[in-house]
Amino acid sequence: MRGCSFVTRLPTTEGRLTKWAVSAPPFVFLTAFFLLPFLIVVAASFRYPGEFGGLASLLPLLGAPGKDAGLTLETYRFFFGDLTYAEIFARSFFVAGLTTLICILMAYPVALLIARSPKKRRDLMVLLVILPFASNLLIRVYAWIIILGPLNLLYTPYAVVIGMVYVHLPFMVLPLYTNLEKHDPALLEAAQDLGANGWTRFWRITFPLSLPGIFSGSALVFIPVLGMFAIPELLGGTGDILVDNLIKEQFLDNRDWPLGSMLSIMLTLAVLALAGLAAWAARSRRGGA
Amino acid sequence: MKTPFTAKDAKEKQKRKGSFAYLCVLGGLAFFSVSSQADDVLHLYIWNNYISDQTAQRFEDACHCRLKQDYYSDNEEMLAKLDAGAVGYDILVPTGNAVEALIRRNALRPLDKTRLPDIKNIKPEYRNAWYDPGNRYSVPYAYTVTLLGYNATKLKELNLPTDTWALIFEPKYLEKLKGRVTVLNSQRELMGAAMIYLGYDIQDKDPAKWEQAKELLIRAKPYWATFSNSTYIKDLAIGNIWVAHGYSNDMYRAQQDALAARRPFAIGFATPKEGAVLAVDNFVLHRAGPRPDLAQRFMEFMLDGQNAADVSNLIGAGNPNGAAIPHIRPDIAGNPAIFPPPSEAKRLQMIRDFDAKSRRTLSRMWTEVKVK
Amino acid sequence: MPRQFWLWAASLGVYAFLYVPLAVVVLFSFNDSALNAAWVGFTTDWYVKLTRNEDMLGAALNSLLIALTASTVATVLGTMAGIAMHRYRPKLLPFMVITPVAMPEILLGVSLLLFFRQVLDLTLGLFSIVVAHITFSIGFVAIIIRARLAGMDESIFEAARDLGATPWQTFRRVTLPLILPGVVAGFLMSFTLSIDDFVITFFVAGVGVTTLPLQIYSMIKVAVTPEVNAVSTLLMTLTLSMILLASRFAPDVLKGKA
Repeated sequence: MRGCSFVTRLPTTEGRLTKWAVSAPPFVFLTAFFLLPFLIVVAASFRYPGEFGGLASLLPLLGAPGKDAGLTLETYRFFFGDLTYAEIFARSFFVAGLTTLICILMAYPVALLIARSPKKRRDLMVLLVILPFASNLLIRVYAWIIILGPLNLLYTPYAVVIGMVYVHLPFMVLPLYTNLEKHDPALLEAAQDLGANGWTRFWRITFPLSLPGIFSGSALVFIPVLGMFAIPELLGGTGDILVDNLIKEQFLDNRDWPLGSMLSIMLTLAVLALAGLAAWAARSRRGGA
Repeated sequence: MKTPFTAKDAKEKQKRKGSFAYLCVLGGLAFFSVSSQADDVLHLYIWNNYISDQTAQRFEDACHCRLKQDYYSDNEEMLAKLDAGAVGYDILVPTGNAVEALIRRNALRPLDKTRLPDIKNIKPEYRNAWYDPGNRYSVPYAYTVTLLGYNATKLKELNLPTDTWALIFEPKYLEKLKGRVTVLNSQRELMGAAMIYLGYDIQDKDPAKWEQAKELLIRAKPYWATFSNSTYIKDLAIGNIWVAHGYSNDMYRAQQDALAARRPFAIGFATPKEGAVLAVDNFVLHRAGPRPDLAQRFMEFMLDGQNAADVSNLIGAGNPNGAAIPHIRPDIAGNPAIFPPPSEAKRLQMIRDFDAKSRRTLSRMWTEVKVK
Repeated sequence: MPRQFWLWAASLGVYAFLYVPLAVVVLFSFNDSALNAAWVGFTTDWYVKLTRNEDMLGAALNSLLIALTASTVATVLGTMAGIAMHRYRPKLLPFMVITPVAMPEILLGVSLLLFFRQVLDLTLGLFSIVVAHITFSIGFVAIIIRARLAGMDESIFEAARDLGATPWQTFRRVTLPLILPGVVAGFLMSFTLSIDDFVITFFVAGVGVTTLPLQIYSMIKVAVTPEVNAVSTLLMTLTLSMILLASRFAPDVLKGKA
């Protein structure tokens, strides 16, 4: 039964019942299909690869010498034993950061233009930005395979960045535009009356006010870049693979599920750390401003 | 904020949503019922480009059934998908080492030889292979050599040798080919090529030798354009890539494609003098396949000399079927890269799976190659 | 004004960047050459070939069915979650709802693959894909609904309650009509995400079950003929029409999204 009590949090039985009825289904679903699987990934990183792939059993097999089973720190030792793996993480974050930066630079003029245009044209312009996004991701990557081939840029790091920017640009335009649209033009007029030139008006009024839009756009670009293996795989060269390619390979080529799980966990932790850092930076900036 | 919908609009939207959901459920049920119907379909899980359209059509006409193919580009990929619980395939086409792996996992259905009289067509040297003594589970279909395909015109221009693995491993050659070389995205194949180049047996388990091979790969990697299991066919034919590590039948196709498109260069391919990997691909029956009857019919069909010759004529693969040889075009039958002569044959090695521990070491080394 | 000019020039540059590659795809779908490298001649053969391509049509049907099922369930569960998050401020639910949205897709794909195979020993197929899609869509819907509720005047609900409406009646006749644009937006968003999803589907799709993105992916890797271009062109046309339709019937959906 679905129903909601919107009045107060009166602990009536009806109120409690409704509360459970509303919260339970999504909660149960997500526990089963998100939380649990995530914990399994954590557990898997501590196990051995199976005989034929997959995972070896948890219990050490009695009387089966030479077969690895049970829990182990082997994968972690392998990862931390060599700095090159840290390097690939660094490279992935660099590509994600570069993509985000380029997206900001390219999205800003468009978002600004749309926000300043008359209402009737705005919807059309927004539509035109979303439209490429409406075509399938792989189609957009494929388009670049055709274009970059003759340009001799295929299988290079530039191809990867171009592909990433192309695919994520609309994600930056939309939040930015939504934010810019809410700006009060009176502020800019006042500044102009006070003698500020175009650049000053932008840099000291528009840009700071748009920071929340930039942040949400950045989040919508940075994180998906880290999870998108198709682009380095199809457009990149031998030196361009990123963390997500490595993870995918462990599961689908190497059949080394423990290593794949461990890399996934490392990636999650890295993203959480970065998010935490960004939140802390935002808080301290606001505190100081 | 826009004015809220009138009650009528809300009801309309709700009804629409409701009927939408209802349609979903119906559609879902319909789909599931349709897909569970027993259709006269034979499901093949096979290398891409391994059965020509004409052959497939002829079989479909002969058996009044449909042939459906799904593709993989690497034995590992096929095994991984099967491990992940894939069912529904009648026939797989694994290479020798994968046949052994599948037999060990008890994933194959034994053949009913009484329904395969033409199995006598298979040349004696391909019967009783190490991976399936007595041919209890497998019927050899085609073989390929993993070798180097190249843009003959370009390489002549650059004065580069075309008969040695050094072409893709030695910086002195790679310098002239920077960004124009692709290699197979396969642990065993690429490490195997490196081992062969260094003069070792590909089944050698000495970790020191593997380290050597690994270092060789890492040194050469910056010059390679990308790892590719199948896109190299097109890249060679277009002219983007000048040297590709790949399978002889794929190189044959690239050669023909380039000719057909009237490109200003010719594609050649040759087995390097140091030796190469030989892969014999076999038809096997997956234990969980729904139509073993159709599958056996298909195998018998493909054992007939005329039909078996197709894979060579149309695709340029080597053929273990003796009855097929007279039907194969002489230019193909005489191509030493496709049909290696006995003198060459002794330099060819077949891949055999390692034990679990060695596999893991190799896997980790492969990851290192990818990352460094 | 010179500044307006630069703004226009830069924006047009970006628009061109967005559209030129797609134009190339469409153009080459009419190219009479299997190699897809240089322009040879005009032909519609590839579209004809496409209609006979059973794999593609099957994949399209799968994608559609999965998207419809997944987005319906996700909208229902997501709406519930959004309402719960707004009204009851639970501690754990927001985390579980939002994290699938925030983490890289590959993690979700990997964890579901492990869960389905290791714990449930489930054969991957349509069901696994649908479940995966629901999991990441719930978050989007919930966020939209919560945002929508946050801007609302609470007194209207109190009024309904005071007039003697049961919770269910309040929901059906007051809440639902008010959040309906959000619900529709959430549905459309989940639908688009599901149809377009590649990474997660890649991990949890069984063999023999393809969705359109997976099919295109295998076509790109294996047999790169202009048939891929033809599919792309058709898909773009289809999505364009859908978006045009959506913007006519729910114009502020676009704004309600971000």
